[in-house]
Amino acid sequence: MLAEHTDEQLLELALNRNEEAFTALYRRRQGPVYRFALHMSGSPQVAEEVTQDVFVFLLQRGRDFDPQRGALGAYLFGVARNYVRRAMEKNYTDATTLTPAEDDDPVLVTEFDPMRDIARSQTSQAVWKAVLSLPEHYREVVVLCDLQEQTYADAAQALGCALGTVRSRLHRAHEMLARKLKNTAPMLAGFPGDAARCLS
Amino acid sequence: MTCREFMDAAAELTPSQLLRIQTSGQSLAAHAGDCRGCAEWLKSHRLLGNALQTLSAATANAGASPAVEASVLRAFRAQKSAPKIVAMPEPAVRRWWQLSRAFEIGAYAAVAAALIVGAFLGSRLLHGRRAPQQEEQAKVVVAPVVPNSVPQAAPIAAEIPTRAAENAAEPAVREVSERERKRAPVSSAAKAAGATTDRLDYVAMMLCDPLMCSGEEHVVRMELPATTDGSTQQTVLADVVIGDDGLIRGMRIVN
Repeated sequence: MLAEHTDEQLLELALNRNEEAFTALYRRRQGPVYRFALHMSGSPQVAEEVTQDVFVFLLQRGRDFDPQRGALGAYLFGVARNYVRRAMEKNYTDATTLTPAEDDDPVLVTEFDPMRDIARSQTSQAVWKAVLSLPEHYREVVVLCDLQEQTYADAAQALGCALGTVRSRLHRAHEMLARKLKNTAPMLAGFPGDAARCLS
Repeated sequence: MTCREFMDAAAELTPSQLLRIQTSGQSLAAHAGDCRGCAEWLKSHRLLGNALQTLSAATANAGASPAVEASVLRAFRAQKSAPKIVAMPEPAVRRWWQLSRAFEIGAYAAVAAALIVGAFLGSRLLHGRRAPQQEEQAKVVVAPVVPNSVPQAAPIAAEIPTRAAENAAEPAVREVSERERKRAPVSSAAKAAGATTDRLDYVAMMLCDPLMCSGEEHVVRMELPATTDGSTQQTVLADVVIGDDGLIRGMRIVN
């Protein structure tokens, strides 16, 4: 029954001490929040802590959420972004732990074809490393728009910036990623070399 | 389509959208077929889109562990069991705020009252200062009226304009006349009191130059011998006008 409720309705119920509503909201929204934190930090531990902090924050300050200003999902991404930043500022994770290790590779789709699986795993590792090496404001838009498949408007709300800023950052981030992947994993992606541009 | 137009159009698309561009039938693909640089750019971005999709798919099912859920639910229950926050602090804050507001208004009122009282007292003080000044002026005018006029016997006599015009000390005469003009109301009051007749009774002693004898004068009533040779013991009462320098400016016989 609660599955039919919108996020905002669930939040309203949860703030009125309805545990079922809160649980439903948590289960619906914890995945994207966790993955956002994971892609941003590269650390499952940080991602779990950020997820927990985000929902505790929602319990305490959920009344501050204004549905007029955007969707709850984007609001949660905005909160998660702040917690990830805080974790990084505290040097909770240093540069080495940010790089995903083989063991940290999240649940990959396992199929019977082991070669294909390995290739996929290698590709995702290389892309993830490239994403993590991006500057933070470029990484945010890639994670939100490409990996979380958020709309530009939602991303803009989560990041607290203009839509055009999201577009331009994303474009620049793609250029940087393409260059990084061409340099670091040309054999995986088959990225071409520098193209001779003819901006005629 | 030029390369710039190609780049502008491609920039609007996400990597996943770029993946969906068919090799034919679209202007982007058509330009990429003609331009090697743009074809490589398109290829690299398609591969990027593919790689990002792979990463996204690889982490699609990732989620927080059940321990996190348990921890969050524990926090929820702790908050639930906590006494519901009644809006008590708010009124308290509001009351404090109102109190402070009352104080603020009171302070404003006190400042305004102080300003009004200050303005009133200031005006009173100014009035008080002006009144003694006027009185002083009146005194200065009234008291010296007689002596001032004495050394200026010429001016007194020069109440007749023709003589004043003939007077050698014309500037002094003019000055005196201006001063007298300024003190017109006082002198008119003095006239009313019979000062005019008194003034006319005085005899100038001409012991000093009117320009030099400009100080204050005093009228002293004294008994003087009736004759200068001392043949009689008879005395007369006389008002003698004495200047600050001790010289007699004028005198009149009272009886």
